[in-house]
Amino acid sequence: MAAPMSNVDEIRDRVILGEFGVKNVHTTDYPGNYPGYDDTWDLEKFKKNFRIDIVHSDENMLEFDMIGIDAAIANAFRRILLAEVPTMAIEKAFIYNNTSIIQDEILAHRLGLVPIKADPRLFEYRNPEDQEGTEIDTIQLQLKVKCTRNPRAPKDSSDPKELYLNHMVYSGDIKWLPIGNQADVFADAKIGPVHGDILLAQLRPGQELDIVMHCVKGIGKDHAKFSPVATASYRLLPEITLLQTIEGEQAEILVTFDYLILIWGHEHV
Amino acid sequence: MDSQKDIQPVKQQPMIYICGECHTENEIKARDPIRCRECGYRIMYKKRTKRCILSPSRCVKNRSV
Repeated sequence: MAAPMSNVDEIRDRVILGEFGVKNVHTTDYPGNYPGYDDTWDLEKFKKNFRIDIVHSDENMLEFDMIGIDAAIANAFRRILLAEVPTMAIEKAFIYNNTSIIQDEILAHRLGLVPIKADPRLFEYRNPEDQEGTEIDTIQLQLKVKCTRNPRAPKDSSDPKELYLNHMVYSGDIKWLPIGNQADVFADAKIGPVHGDILLAQLRPGQELDIVMHCVKGIGKDHAKFSPVATASYRLLPEITLLQTIEGEQAEILVTFDYLILIWGHEHV
Repeated sequence: MDSQKDIQPVKQQPMIYICGECHTENEIKARDPIRCRECGYRIMYKKRTKRCILSPSRCVKNRSV
C-alpha cells in the first residue's frame, strides 16, 4: 500500500504533519513554477479531476468531500456559509406586555437568536427607510403566554410543573401571523421557529408575555443570528499509509483506531 | 369627535396598583388611603404601561465608561 512519491510530487500535492505544526501548506503549483509540469488551469482538466462525494446528509448536518480543489476554495465556501448566506430572523420585537423577570431587551435578544423556518429566497431585503414592513419582506410572529395557578394541583406539591400552567415559555409557543397574501402563498409552508423546545423565559402566576415580532432577511456579516449554519468547518483529507503489513492483535487495534495517523517518510517523531 | 365618547373623558378607568407584599391588584381611587385590601401593606406599585415598546433583537451597544 505504501507507494513512494517523488519528492516533487509530495511538495506539490501534500501537506505534511510535523511534530509542532503543519508544513508545506501554501499552494505552489502555479504555471511556470515547476519546470516540466504544465500547470495552466484548464476547465476540462479541472472537471476531470474534481469530484464531490456526499458523506453524510441529514436534517441538521451535511458532510461532503471535495476532491481536486485547493484549500483556499474550501475555506472560501466556509466563510461564505458563515457570513453571506441569507436567512430570516427576528429583527424587531414589539413588546405590548412583559411582566416576567426577563427584561425586555434580554428577551428581544433571545428571540432574535431563535432560528426561523422560512425560505429566504422567497423574501426580499427590507428597505432601510421602511419602518412598517411589507408582505414581501416581513414575517410577523406572535408570542402570547400567560401563566396561571393550576387549580387541580395536589395539595402539598412543590413541583412547578404541577403547580402552574404555562410557566415555561418555549419557542414552540411562537405563532405565525400571516400578512397580506402570505396566507395563500405560504399555505403549506408552516412558517415558524425551527425548534419548538428552546426555552425563552420562565413565568409565575400573574406574569404574562404579549409580543409581536417582525422577521426580516439578513446575512451573518450583519448579525450572527442570520448565519444559517451552527458552524461550518473543513479539514484536509488525511492520507494514512501503512508502512508494513499489520497482523493479528495489532490489526484489531488498528481497525478500532479512527484517528491514528502514521507520519510518512522522514517526519517520524 | 369628542361627542362619540362619554361625556366624562376616558381617564375614568380605575387605577389598579399592585401591592408590594402580596402582589394582589388593588383599585385605588383618588384620595383613598393607600393600603392593600388583603394584607394592609402600604407600598403600592404601578402596573406596566400598556404602550408598545419596540426592542431591537440585537445586542445593546456597549458604551464604554
